[in-house]
Amino acid sequence: MFEPSTLEERRRYYRDEWNVNDLPDFIRKDLSKREFGFDHLGRGPNDRYRVFKTPDMLKRFMRYRSPFAAYCSVAFYNKPRKRGEWLKSELVFDVDAKDVPVRSCGCDSVCEICLDEARQIVAGLIDTLKQDLGLKNIHVIYSGRGYHIRILDETAMGLDSEGRSQVLKYVVGAEPPKNKYFMEDESGQKPYELEHFSIPLGYPAVFTKRIKYAILHLNGTEKMEEVNPKLMKDVLKYREMVQKDEWGLFKNKIGPIRYRNLVEGISKLNMGLVDAKVSIDLKRILRMPTSLHSKVSMRCMEVKNIETFDPLKKAVPKFVSERKGY
Amino acid sequence: MVLISYLNPFSSEGEDIVREKGSIEGIFEVNPELLQLVRDSKSQNISDDSYIPKNYADLALKRVEWYLRRKNDKKYNHNDYAFLINPKIAKFDVISIYTMAQAIGIKFNPKSREGRLLVESQGKLVEDRLEKLAPIERKEVVNNLLNQMITQDNIKWTSMSQLLGSKKINLTDMILDQGDVVLEKEDFLIRFEDKIEGRVPEKMYDLLIGEKIKEMIISRMIMQKTENYLQKVHEMAPKIEAHPTLLEIGEQISEKIKELSYFPGSGGSGGFGGDIKATQLQPDAFPPCIQKTIEGVGSGNRNDAIVLLLTSFLSYARLYPSVFRNEGTSKISDIDPDLQITINEIIPLIFEAADNCNPPLFDDDPQEKLNVIAKLGFGVNKDPELKHEGESKWYTPMSCDKIKIHLSSLCKPDATCKKIGNPLSYYNRKRWELRNSGDKTPSKSSESDSDKD
Ligand code: SF4
Ligand SMILES: [Zn+2]
Repeated sequence: MFEPSTLEERRRYYRDEWNVNDLPDFIRKDLSKREFGFDHLGRGPNDRYRVFKTPDMLKRFMRYRSPFAAYCSVAFYNKPRKRGEWLKSELVFDVDAKDVPVRSCGCDSVCEICLDEARQIVAGLIDTLKQDLGLKNIHVIYSGRGYHIRILDETAMGLDSEGRSQVLKYVVGAEPPKNKYFMEDESGQKPYELEHFSIPLGYPAVFTKRIKYAILHLNGTEKMEEVNPKLMKDVLKYREMVQKDEWGLFKNKIGPIRYRNLVEGISKLNMGLVDAKVSIDLKRILRMPTSLHSKVSMRCMEVKNIETFDPLKKAVPKFVSERKGY
Repeated sequence: MVLISYLNPFSSEGEDIVREKGSIEGIFEVNPELLQLVRDSKSQNISDDSYIPKNYADLALKRVEWYLRRKNDKKYNHNDYAFLINPKIAKFDVISIYTMAQAIGIKFNPKSREGRLLVESQGKLVEDRLEKLAPIERKEVVNNLLNQMITQDNIKWTSMSQLLGSKKINLTDMILDQGDVVLEKEDFLIRFEDKIEGRVPEKMYDLLIGEKIKEMIISRMIMQKTENYLQKVHEMAPKIEAHPTLLEIGEQISEKIKELSYFPGSGGSGGFGGDIKATQLQPDAFPPCIQKTIEGVGSGNRNDAIVLLLTSFLSYARLYPSVFRNEGTSKISDIDPDLQITINEIIPLIFEAADNCNPPLFDDDPQEKLNVIAKLGFGVNKDPELKHEGESKWYTPMSCDKIKIHLSSLCKPDATCKKIGNPLSYYNRKRWELRNSGDKTPSKSSESDSDKD
């Protein structure tokens, strides 16, 4: 499992298994407005700025070259060959299992456990993207080692980098919500203390979910400046209260100042749930769905139902199942 | 009921006023109606004639003066400017802000300090004006403004992308549901009542949203409108011949800013250009990310680390370390008039660090040399020259948050990092700590020429 594939295997894959008609519609449509890039030698994509006018031309290219990896842009251009006349870009969230900051497995690359945790995180993000942000036309791609959330909602595709980074912070819970609120016409009064967990809506509610997920999946080795070993120990000790949503009790056990530290620390970790660079980059190229992730010999593919998706059943190419000892 | 244009001069009502009255000719003429109105304003100070704007041009300058003094001058007295908070001034005010915007837009870049002053002052004025209205009227005005500015039933957060992009608004500060920004109480209750347990939903609304968010959105939107208008003027400017009157007003605004940017009595919290103390660099106070950059960066992060991070950091640390405390923008030549420090000290350091990269930055990418100059505010040119200053912006150092996103491998926070949000604040703080910890780097000597580095 998760071994690199040989050129011979790639050829077999693109000849026997791959079908250009499997490309998701959102890519086939306006194919000629995207930039394509390829990695032929396994050293990163350096064959860039390619354009395919029709799926058929892409098909010929893939069959003939059987690249190590294939990518296409999240951006749409009028002149994709020079990246000229940028039109819009998909809004993207990249959750790579090996980079997820809170992983209960503690493995050092990818395993079944962290792949599944990445899947759960993705499901949570999508929930917020729909519920709070009202976004539609959301696609999930299994990337071979994690997931891409690709959003083709017209209202979001024109956002600039700063706007995207604000969306990112919102959905991952990268900032503790304020906990002091003022009543109207009561300036000068003492503020009301309202912790995120006692506000069941809006960003505070999103934040509560993300914090809860993190606390329940900490394995104790995570490094957070705000959280010393003693605090980490206490968090693990009392975390079943969080499991039961007994936040008030949990905060009491931890103490208000240390609670604030914990929340600060986790919100910074949350920033790492998604590769931020990918989200704010308007001209990124992403692994092309249906292509082969040759480093791990998995298929990059669109996921129809994230709740039930199992990459080990769905994304394994034939040549791998036929490998000796699989 | 106050006029909508009293708060939003860019409303259609405001446009009508300009169309009707907006002849550039009378702008320097004494306007008796305005004089009377100013004198009649509640608690207006009239002991000195200089408090009273006599014509549209004067009024524009008064706005500049008001904003800078309010911000920088300890002796600021609101009664000197009470007329600005008099709703009756609306019509005059509208003309004056259009005049200002045109004067600035023709002469300066929208991102210049003149431009920013206009935008910021407009936002502040909206806030002050709202605050002075009676609660009921305030609510009514706010709702009217919102209805005018937001045509759909619900505002979609995506319709605020400009505000998000310019960081005037944080997405996390708003209550979102299904893509809508929830603002009205009824709407809030319909959407969330079922979810709220153990608390009074109405009170929850008052705490989380109330009028605050609405007012924030309004003032930010008006700021954005001001900026957009400025931009529009600026783009048109080369195509039409500027009226000499406007050029003159532009000049006067610029003078006013220079004159009022530093108040000796303000205890060092001066605004634009105030409290500037260019001092020798103190490398032992550099934060970890800067130290790593100077040592040299690998190819992945190299360009941004040198061009964006180091260039802005070193130039500000050397010339204007207190830029954030002063909230103002500045130009390098305000502090380094003949650019000698910039050319002889700052740029060499940046180029040296670029050479330490692997592979050396400029060997690979000579274009980036021009970008360094551009980030210092001298446009895309080979060398910094006064005549090019202002063609681009003098970039302030990016925040730690940004660094963590773009240049994560450089951020290796230490204890001081915890207390700050920007490498430049780190530098200021650390210098202060070093001074107070009895470190033998007294501030005096680091300012004199006895530096042995
Ligand atoms: S926290 Fe800020 S100042 Fe400290 S190393 Fe990171 S980016 Fe630099
Ligand atoms: Zn794992």
